[in-house]
Amino acid sequence: MSELVKISKTQFENVFQCEFNDGTVRLCTKNLAPGFSVYGERLFKVEGIEYREWNAFRSKLGGAILKGLKQNPIVKGTKVLYLGAASGTTPSHVSDIVELEGKVYGVEFSPRVVREFLLVAQHRPNLFPILADARFPQYYRTLVEDVDVLYVDIAQPDETDIAIYNAKFFLKNGGYMMMAIKARSIDVTKEPTEIYEMEVNKLKENNFDVIQVIQLDPYDKDHAMVLAKYKGK
Amino acid sequence: MKVYIVEHAIGSFAYDEQGKLIDFVLSSKDLGKVVDSLLDNEKGIPLPTTIELIQKIKPEEVVVENEAEIPNLQQLGVKASYEIHNLGSRIFRESLPKIAIETKFASSENDLYSFLYEVSFEYTRRKLRTAASKRDLLAIQAIRAIDDIDKTINLFSERLREWYSIHFPELNKLVEDHELYASIVSKFGHRDEITNTGLDEIGVNKDLSTKILDASKKSIGADITDVDIRSIKMLSDTILELFRIRSELTDYVESVMKEVAPNVTALVGPTLGARLLSLAGSLEDLAKMPASTIQVLGAEKALFRALRKGGKPPKHGVIFQYPAIHTSPRWQRGKIARALAAKLAIAARIDAFSGRFIGDKLNEELKKRIEEIKTKYAQPPPRKPQEQKRKEEERKGKKGGREKRKGRR
Repeated sequence: MSELVKISKTQFENVFQCEFNDGTVRLCTKNLAPGFSVYGERLFKVEGIEYREWNAFRSKLGGAILKGLKQNPIVKGTKVLYLGAASGTTPSHVSDIVELEGKVYGVEFSPRVVREFLLVAQHRPNLFPILADARFPQYYRTLVEDVDVLYVDIAQPDETDIAIYNAKFFLKNGGYMMMAIKARSIDVTKEPTEIYEMEVNKLKENNFDVIQVIQLDPYDKDHAMVLAKYKGK
Repeated sequence: MKVYIVEHAIGSFAYDEQGKLIDFVLSSKDLGKVVDSLLDNEKGIPLPTTIELIQKIKPEEVVVENEAEIPNLQQLGVKASYEIHNLGSRIFRESLPKIAIETKFASSENDLYSFLYEVSFEYTRRKLRTAASKRDLLAIQAIRAIDDIDKTINLFSERLREWYSIHFPELNKLVEDHELYASIVSKFGHRDEITNTGLDEIGVNKDLSTKILDASKKSIGADITDVDIRSIKMLSDTILELFRIRSELTDYVESVMKEVAPNVTALVGPTLGARLLSLAGSLEDLAKMPASTIQVLGAEKALFRALRKGGKPPKHGVIFQYPAIHTSPRWQRGKIARALAAKLAIAARIDAFSGRFIGDKLNEELKKRIEEIKTKYAQPPPRKPQEQKRKEEERKGKKGGREKRKGRR
């Protein structure tokens, strides 16, 4: 196994990169729950601080950063509503980045993966696990508040509509939305680029300024990450 | 007067049309009650704090966010309508921490968030449990199906061996594994069609294939026709199919068990875990059993005989299948079984009623205890004089001695 040579900052707050002696460079974050590895990723201790390797192949946010995300609205202290938390891989890194001052409300609908998500949230006081259907924000309105960033990764045909509906409920004016679009779950017959354009237009019609669309291959095939700013309700 | 009512885990808040907070009722800090009311709210029952608030300020018309609540609110004698993300909820959710502190629900932001964390955890856990409920019954049926298939495989394999032995009797002794035996019959049929490469393909080692080939050439078995072979092959194909179903069911049991009883599964693995559920009846039944009962589950016959005749009770039931028990010397088994059963009782209760995962911790403690038993009781205990006396009595042929037990399946 390759050995760690150096850890350095990236242009984004609380996102680091680690270099190995074989020349590879990977992303990593400071571990908020030292000693616990979430999905089998490696942990490194440097000058008393533990870092967790961030596998861009398993996390679309990680992929987007490596593919040239212009700005990362998720920083220390950010409040995030995370739709599609799944087993908590990406949410754990988001929870690392926002630190205890920030909050991550993780919504996931499948009981099967929520079990694993609970295990991740157990060691992270800033990560709130919510088993609910993102289609019905009125049901989890009682558990959340307005957020700075709405992160959506739900792979549903009507993903964009669900995202916009949730933004109306919980996204602050001037807040950001990050949406991972899985072209294949919206329409398998269309070209992915065509789909991204369609979804981006939907966002524009609903008061979003689309800042960037990043194609995520090779980390995720036929996926794109959309970064958009919400102009208000 | 139109009033916006905002409902949240921390309480219910009323805003007027100018967006001013008129009044509020805070939730109790009893987690269980709060979560209950949140879950009810999804079905359209207003939070208890909302009802209290409406009775307190007696508004003419209220605006809420959950459409399903409207009929219930109207029963309280107020006009009700719904509007998502209305004026009140916008103001409230924008400044939740501030409001929580100003209304003295929480003394600090930390206080508020640790409350919300506990509530969302409990809420999710509770929903998870309803989702997972009854799935234990599926695992139970699956494990019973596996046991049935095992019985069938044995029965069919015995028949196949006898049948095919008319043609090639030597194979019976050479191949003990039922699955391999069936695949040889299925693949080749006639004994003189058996080839080295063919045997290699189904994973027979060199040594054995030479023996099989050798035997097939010198076989004393009778010659049979293609029609005869075809019927035999039908049976062997069925056996192979049963093996396939068995392995699929095993995977299925594993996935269900990890979901419904992660802690029990962590301790004893999916198969034994499912057997325990099967013997108990359900996960909840297992959770309600004392450890001493879990210890002898599956050895009921031996236990009740012992109780009736005053003999020695069995030390273990189905948990005998746990490797640390059946690989240990006889005098350590009872102690290990007791330790394991105690941990199982804890695990089953958490699986049934709470849902946390502490399997790793339980496992560690159990391993430690087993280590302790192994070092402390490394030597067999000395024979008790009483036992010898009883042995003598037995030799004299007196009745009432203890029977030899077979306390497991």
